[in-house]
Amino acid sequence: MIQPMIQPVIQPVVPPMIQLRDVRKSYSRGTESVLACAVDRLDIAAGEQVALIGRSGTGKTTVLHILAGILRPDQGSIEAVGRRLDQMSESARDRHRGRHIGMVYQTFNLLQPFTALENVLLGALFGRGAGSDSRARAEALLQQVGLGDRMHHRPRELSVGQVQRVAICRALVNDPELILMDEPLGNQDRATGGQVLDALLQLATRGKKTVVMVTHDPESAKRMQRTVDLATLRGATPVVAAAGGSS
Amino acid sequence: MKLWSISLRNLRIRLVATVLTMASIIVATALYAAILVMAEQTEQRYKGSVGGYQAVVGPKDASQLELVLNTIFNVGEAPGLFPLQVCMDLRSGVGVSRRGQVRYAVPQARGDSVSRFNFPVIATLDEMFSKYEWQKAPLVFAAGGPFQFGWDDLMAFATELAAHENGKRAGEVPLPPRPLLKKEWCKAVVGARVARTLGLQLGAVVTPVHGKMGEFGFHEHPEAACEIVGILAPTNSPLDTTIFLPLSTHLLIDGHEAGVFVVEIPPGKTPDDAKKLPVKPGQIALTAIIVDPKDHFGARILRNDFGTRPDAQVAWPQDVVPKFLRQIGNAADALAVIAWLVLLVAAVSITVAIYNTMNERRREIAIMRSLGATRLQILVIIVGEAALLSFFGALLGLLTCHGAACLLQATVEDMTGVYLDWLTFRPWEAWLLLGVTGLGAIAGLLPAVKGSMTEVADNLAADY
Ligand SMILES: Nc1ncnc2c1ncn2[C@@H]1O[C@H](COP(=O)(O)OP(=O)(O)OP(=O)(O)O)[C@@H](O)[C@H]1O
Ligand SMILES: [Mg+2]
Repeated sequence: MIQPMIQPVIQPVVPPMIQLRDVRKSYSRGTESVLACAVDRLDIAAGEQVALIGRSGTGKTTVLHILAGILRPDQGSIEAVGRRLDQMSESARDRHRGRHIGMVYQTFNLLQPFTALENVLLGALFGRGAGSDSRARAEALLQQVGLGDRMHHRPRELSVGQVQRVAICRALVNDPELILMDEPLGNQDRATGGQVLDALLQLATRGKKTVVMVTHDPESAKRMQRTVDLATLRGATPVVAAAGGSS
Repeated sequence: MKLWSISLRNLRIRLVATVLTMASIIVATALYAAILVMAEQTEQRYKGSVGGYQAVVGPKDASQLELVLNTIFNVGEAPGLFPLQVCMDLRSGVGVSRRGQVRYAVPQARGDSVSRFNFPVIATLDEMFSKYEWQKAPLVFAAGGPFQFGWDDLMAFATELAAHENGKRAGEVPLPPRPLLKKEWCKAVVGARVARTLGLQLGAVVTPVHGKMGEFGFHEHPEAACEIVGILAPTNSPLDTTIFLPLSTHLLIDGHEAGVFVVEIPPGKTPDDAKKLPVKPGQIALTAIIVDPKDHFGARILRNDFGTRPDAQVAWPQDVVPKFLRQIGNAADALAVIAWLVLLVAAVSITVAIYNTMNERRREIAIMRSLGATRLQILVIIVGEAALLSFFGALLGLLTCHGAACLLQATVEDMTGVYLDWLTFRPWEAWLLLGVTGLGAIAGLLPAVKGSMTEVADNLAADY
């Protein structure tokens, strides 16, 4: 019933960082079933910087979670950073995510009882491990984003922009190949948001990192190399959740 | 950052709940440790101290346990008096001694204490230091030597004292003189701890007191001030807390309301009438005789002899003490069960306390999972919280126990003769620490499993 849609895909000269095929994820509420996301085909090459757009409720967050291995789809194959996530156990996906994938959320999701530095170190602990060099690396990252004098402050003692930068440092501390961001600049005014994004993209380019960023903001999307509209990945399947409000 | 430092942080941010839960662990551990310490020290005190066929002779109507505890372990008051004649028989070829079956029979009279520490005073013979054996060896002096007062001295003294008493009772004129308190009798030998506590050295003087300080009837006996001629080497036994005087000194001290003679009240007479009856040297009052039969056979004869004697009985420490220890052991076991229950309740309170935080921590757990934490790591963090809490609780509990032992040391020793050694840490304390920590870890398992089941994607978003 699903007709594969032929898409003009740039033949990857570099190995693919992300490959999604026929991915479906739906939630059932009693007799009702809600299709949260449907992606027939999505390829992102290593080093690419992609903006993921789409109307609210079309499943952008869900796709990111699937790419991170946090959610397991009902069907379809997922490859991310060289591993088939759909064939891995949960704990293997956890470790894979910790080592190779950095995530930044709209709500930043810092842990309140821990200082800025400790939050970054937590990323290291659950990622590549708490080696002695992780502290030096965490401190260097915080210095780079101008938080050298705020390392020992708790998230509540920081401005929103500073919290955001801590979150970015935490995502980068394991030197991940893939960075997934869910509207990371939603709370920022244009100018600041643009600055932070520029800084991040610079770091990413220098480190040849792949970036997938969900955004509603056309300005931010323009800064990325490519923009993918989730609706166009949906093939012939009717858009079930198109009428939905906020997620 | 380490997993355990996350656990520690979680405990710290819920400080009130942590402290309250820990308090129950502290109480349970301290209680358990206290019971173990008491049982252990009691056993140590009483077990090693009885050996051979050593027996204690005492008044007929006393309980054997009371007799042994008082005579060997300085617990409580002497249970009663009996006549010197018993000792004379034991030594003079009547009954058991006839066959040379008794190695020694040392008479003792417990009397007034010395100093506010209530160190017991035992009036006895110099045989206490030449014949009596503690754990199969005579007592060793750290300094000085014994006082001189032997059996023959006692016999001569007793005769003189009885003559004086009879003269007084019959209203004789001239009254035979009361024996003088000779200078060479005003000597004392003290145990190691007496010397240490009171800061006594050879040549120092101790003055016996009557009664307990602050109580009615308390008075000193300056006329019987005794010079210390010997300090015993430490034995870590009740001997360490004892002061030894010659029997004569004790008998010449004023204030023995009942008199120094044991007088049977004949049927139909009043106690006042009895005070008029003539006395014999053999009626001088003793509180105990320490007897050592040579062997099993001697012990049998001694047992038979005293089976029919109306004025005294024989008690066997090696029978009485293990029975006593078993009773203590049973009581300790019962208390230990209670302590275990308290510990169990404390463990349940840990489970409840942590379980209740799981809902508010769903987001935090989801965030850690999104950073790459596995379910197992989440489990370890939460179990670690419970274990750390229990560990610190148990540690504080043990310290509490030692602190309490330090504070109560004097009282407990006074009441039971058990010396609480609060400074030594014993191997089982490490096991208790480990055990309580393990129990806490188990208590943390239920909330930990719940925490590790936390759904990640659903809980990552902020609450609306
Ligand atoms: N746990 C869930 N149970 C049921 N439905 C869910 C669940 N999670 C997501 N959905 C549904 O799946 C759809 C996609 O959700 P998702 O959060 O991916 O949207 P989104 O594109 O990120 O939207 P937004 O731009 O508003 O963040 C929504 O219709 C949502 O209601
Ligand atoms: Mg979303």
